Amino acid sequence: MTRAGNRIDAGLGLLDRQILDKDGKDSGNVDDLELFAREEGGAPYVMYILAGPGALARRLRGRAGAWLESAFERLHHSEDPHPARIPFGVVKDIKHSVELSISKRGLDVTTIEDWVRDHFISKIPGAYHDPGGTK
Amino acid sequence: MRLSDFLQAEVLDDNDVSIGRVQDVRLIQDGPVIGTWGAAFSIEGLIVSKRGVGARLGFHRSNVKGPLPLKALFEWIFRDARLVEWERIRSIEEGRIRFRGTYEDLKAPDPLSG
Repeated sequence: MTRAGNRIDAGLGLLDRQILDKDGKDSGNVDDLELFAREEGGAPYVMYILAGPGALARRLRGRAGAWLESAFERLHHSEDPHPARIPFGVVKDIKHSVELSISKRGLDVTTIEDWVRDHFISKIPGAYHDPGGTK
Repeated sequence: MRLSDFLQAEVLDDNDVSIGRVQDVRLIQDGPVIGTWGAAFSIEGLIVSKRGVGARLGFHRSNVKGPLPLKALFEWIFRDARLVEWERIRSIEEGRIRFRGTYEDLKAPDPLSG
């Protein structure tokens, strides 16, 4: 990891790292960071990790970014679409991935995944078939 | 304010001379305590270079030992990199950041391990 003592280069050590929740489940990637200005002045500090296409679109810029942002806004269930925000305060450790101390449930990091499941996967015959035979 | 607002922004000195673009943002853990993480990361400075090729490959990290020719190549490419400390930043506009001083006043960023 890109730390020396308590320093880290954000692009190299945080961006695009996989996020794992407390159970080790994939919870997306670090696509951007949101910073807050201090009331007393001084350097802004990292408050949220932004994840998902809504955050990535801004980094891509140009036509690819505009297309991704438009697709994200169409697919997002909210009237005011915004990227998933994960409070940095729930980060447990930063290694090759960013480990969280909480579960991914309720983090709103699977918007597109949920949309594809509800609109496509669920309509495929046998989509709810459980190979284990419980359904 | 997002990290992406800084990345690839052009950095201009007191004389409006461009010294390169922001290749990375160096964070230091000295902010207010947040949640279970502890002290938040705040911006220590911007790592600026005119050459962006390979900036995200990490060959310039201190604990990367090789391959030697690649390490030497990327260190040579980034020999102009400088750290613009946050205290020097004068203004932030879209895609453009101005700082107090000139290129000669800036230090090369310490290589971090990783």
